[in-house]
Amino acid sequence: MRHVLTFLFASLLLSLGLTAAAEEQRPEVVQSDISMREISIQSNFTGVEIVLFGSIDFSKAPAPDEKPYDVIMVVRGPDRPLVIRRKERIAGLWMNGDSKTFSAVPDFYAVLASRPFRAIASEEMLKPLGIGFANLDYGKTVEGDNTDDEFRANLIRLQQEHRLFQESDDAIGFIGRSLFRGSVDLPVNVPIGRYTTQVFLFRDGKLLSQSQSSLQVHKVGLERVVYMLAYRYPLTYGLLAVLIAISAGLLAWTAFRRE
Amino acid sequence: MLQVYLPVAEISVNLLVMLGLGAAIGFLSGMFGVGGGFLLTPLLMFSGIPPAIAVATGANQIVASSVSGALAQWRRGNIDFRMGFVLSIGGVVGAFAGVLLVGLLSRLGHADVFISLVYVIFLGVIGSLMLAESLRAVWRTRAGKPATQKPGEHTWIHKLPFKMRFQRSRLYISAIPPLILGVIVGLLASVLGAGGGFIIVPAMIYLLRMPTHIVIGTSLFQIIFVTAVTTMLYATLNRSLDVVLALLLVIGGVIGGQFGVNAGQKLKGEQLRLMLAVIVLAVAIRLMIGLLVPPADLYSLAPMMVRP
Repeated sequence: MRHVLTFLFASLLLSLGLTAAAEEQRPEVVQSDISMREISIQSNFTGVEIVLFGSIDFSKAPAPDEKPYDVIMVVRGPDRPLVIRRKERIAGLWMNGDSKTFSAVPDFYAVLASRPFRAIASEEMLKPLGIGFANLDYGKTVEGDNTDDEFRANLIRLQQEHRLFQESDDAIGFIGRSLFRGSVDLPVNVPIGRYTTQVFLFRDGKLLSQSQSSLQVHKVGLERVVYMLAYRYPLTYGLLAVLIAISAGLLAWTAFRRE
Repeated sequence: MLQVYLPVAEISVNLLVMLGLGAAIGFLSGMFGVGGGFLLTPLLMFSGIPPAIAVATGANQIVASSVSGALAQWRRGNIDFRMGFVLSIGGVVGAFAGVLLVGLLSRLGHADVFISLVYVIFLGVIGSLMLAESLRAVWRTRAGKPATQKPGEHTWIHKLPFKMRFQRSRLYISAIPPLILGVIVGLLASVLGAGGGFIIVPAMIYLLRMPTHIVIGTSLFQIIFVTAVTTMLYATLNRSLDVVLALLLVIGGVIGGQFGVNAGQKLKGEQLRLMLAVIVLAVAIRLMIGLLVPPADLYSLAPMMVRP
């Protein structure tokens, strides 16, 4: 009996030691999630902050204040074609002249990083992952591309001004050895659709692991009804608008008539 | 800070600003007896609403104000329904053409400039004419003469075929001039998002020689049709109607209109016309400056408009 107990105890100790050793060797895996899986836009919507958080399994950080890891997060909305136009002076009037159509511009695109992401990894590493405005594709332009770069640069500038493109170098903070969190502001004009969030874990410029999740931005309540009517049932929508106006006119006439 | 999100315009506006804008236009239209659409659309454009949406939503707002205006005129027996229908037939044709034109120009990125330019021309010309006329009238009443005009005589219009009898207007004229007039007004109304009363009223008085008291009611009657059809067409063909914005403007307009009527009754006709002329010219000049001054940002983004 005693032998058996000794054996069990010994094997338990052994297995614990072995797991610890195995943990030392197993590669790091990043896990992540979002504070909100669904964002509802109502008439009182003024923007929302979402928090992305995650942890590094099998972290080899020796101490909480030593951080060998770098984390980059990308939040990306659905793509859609966008036209960018440049105004020119024609016959004394300022009007739209040249334009370029980019076939797939993300409606929303944010990059968060634990430090400037160009210092985290090389361009060759970042480009295929779609990290950074300059490394995005934006689809093919419909017209020629002789002044393409100028239009592209202004497309990025305008999207940034509308807060639809964001780059933030210090938006991710570590908590202890393996936890981290980052936050991104979705502005009031955030487009609806399915968003993907990607979390990349780097160490010494090498991609160790990545994780993905998604969130849905949609309209609810009156917003949704109006939007649906306007785009799915435009005839009903138009009729409704006319009926509202006619009844308002009738109401005004009956309420205020003087005879 | 009462921000309201406009679902079709896809921008946030201040609730009180839009209600106030509706009320101001309602006040002016009640005071001057005009539809006010030709002021509403530019003001919406000034406050950041995209022109294509300003035009469609303006048209929708005019439906409300012309319904209550036409009802009041109908009670006084001031509507020539037959003339109104002939004008409306032409108006619907013109509205169709105008909505398609604005849709095409929107896709090409020229709708803003086109709408502004048409406004500058029409408001400039009409504002100047009104200013000159009202200044003369004010001067004439000061000199002690009545501020009226002499009725006209027969013109080439009375020699055209397809004559119709318009009982209430006491006219026996060809249906062609009212039809063409209707088309022109429909075209303008749909491009400008206005009722077009500022075009049709002088045209009915000076070209068709209709009695003045019938003109206002009849023009309001046909404006209901033209703006209702324009609203429908913008909703279905261009998807540029924002019903939330229209509702805010309608509510403001109904309230402002009542105060405007009272204010208008306290002022003389010539003074009212002078004030209106100054407002119209001011809006035209503001739009003109927008076209001539180099824009703050040369670049602009627009979603690719997909043909429905």
